[in-house]
Amino acid sequence: MRLKLVLELLDVPGQLLDALNPIGRLGANIVAIIHQRDVKTERGTIPVQITIEGDKDTLNEVLNLIEETGIGIMEVDGILRKEKITTIMLGNIIDQDLKDTVNQLNKIDGVMVADLDLKMSDHPEKSASRIVIEAEQGRKKEVLTKIKDIGNLKGFLVINEV
Amino acid sequence: MKVCIVGFGSVGQGVARVMEMKKDELQKEYGLDLELVAALDRSGAAINPEGLDIKQLLVTKKLTGKVSEYPEYGEEGVSGLEVLMDKVEYHCLIEVTPTNIEDGEPALSHILKAMKDGKDVVTSNKGPLALKFKEIAQAARDNGVQFKYEASVGGAMPIINFAHENLSASKIESIYGILNGTTNYILSRMAKEGSSYEQTLNEAQAMGIAETDPTQDVEGEDAACKVVILANSILKMDVTYDDVEVTGISQITPESIALAKKEGYLIKLIGEVSPESLEVSPRLVKEGSPFAVEGTLNVATLKTDLADDVTVVGKGAGSIETASAILSDLISIWKTK
Repeated sequence: MRLKLVLELLDVPGQLLDALNPIGRLGANIVAIIHQRDVKTERGTIPVQITIEGDKDTLNEVLNLIEETGIGIMEVDGILRKEKITTIMLGNIIDQDLKDTVNQLNKIDGVMVADLDLKMSDHPEKSASRIVIEAEQGRKKEVLTKIKDIGNLKGFLVINEV
Repeated sequence: MKVCIVGFGSVGQGVARVMEMKKDELQKEYGLDLELVAALDRSGAAINPEGLDIKQLLVTKKLTGKVSEYPEYGEEGVSGLEVLMDKVEYHCLIEVTPTNIEDGEPALSHILKAMKDGKDVVTSNKGPLALKFKEIAQAARDNGVQFKYEASVGGAMPIINFAHENLSASKIESIYGILNGTTNYILSRMAKEGSSYEQTLNEAQAMGIAETDPTQDVEGEDAACKVVILANSILKMDVTYDDVEVTGISQITPESIALAKKEGYLIKLIGEVSPESLEVSPRLVKEGSPFAVEGTLNVATLKTDLADDVTVVGKGAGSIETASAILSDLISIWKTK
């Protein structure tokens, strides 16, 4: 089968070679590579599109090996690799306009609110909400900070992951 | 080695107790003969240059609540500083008065005075360390004395000396930990029983796990002091208590704990020490992670460059447990003589 990958490379010599190495070593075939050094992501990294061919197990091993070398995999077959971030907010969730909170989170670049769970309490100001967010690879720290800011602005206690 | 215990509450008494319990072993293993020549509390002092009878001292304290009632050698109204001003010959000060995070006194004065007099210092007192770490460390260097404070963070859980001595080859980039036993106990109980914060706190107070005024523990102040100490001592940062962002557990509800559990998370009060962030706050930790410890245990993960992540777990509180760390520091000091 074929797999289209988009890898994230640092703009330093040898990166492309490091990325291609695992592919060759495990016996997968390279069908196409699109590498434009002038096209950069906001992080200053270079996206490289590589289409590889092999059997399912080999391709899985290739993905694992590439990740082990520390190279970020941004897309696999057109689907963005996501990081799941869970946070809990305590406070008067409903009163503070839940819809607005979700919108503000969605507005963060590369972030999507995937799941929302609410537990009301006898005292409305002690309600709790669990929000699960999907964010692009490598943006966890940045997103956690933004979540905290949004929550604090609304007077919520924000409980983030460690 | 003649020692002087300033502060004779649960930790001070614990130190005296372990000194007595380990007398023979210390002599046999290290050739160390620890003599308690003075003990001070709010009532005054008991001073005997030949060494106090520890059993007698502990009984006196238990019966009367005052060391000044110690037969023959008790003195009323002797303040810490007076004793330290040459009333008795001693080699090492053990400073274990209650933590004061406003100004670190009277411990700060005790420690600086002892150092100026050329005495080594062992302490569990977080106050002076969280406010004036740099000055105290400098005073120790200037006066050529030993300054040890393992007991100030994590009780019996090794961390300070552990980082300095056993991880000396690695650069410690950050530390994450559960550094307060009282709050960990409360959160664990709330998770297990679904009880409210207030009810669980009351039970903890009844069991002696939380103080009558639990503020230092539940508002994260105790953990924040420890964050400062770790930042200064292990990460070589120059920070004080005001540099820490502190949020306690008083707002945590059983509903939020239940919500977290649905996604496989626990809520713990975590201290974060890194060059970018000094924080004590309730955080989500994955069930099954090293931070999923229950009860009054403390845990700390040190992230290093060479050794990757190293985690320590241990009893963070308790008079004997804390005293064990103080005794270890005394043995370390003895080994350098």
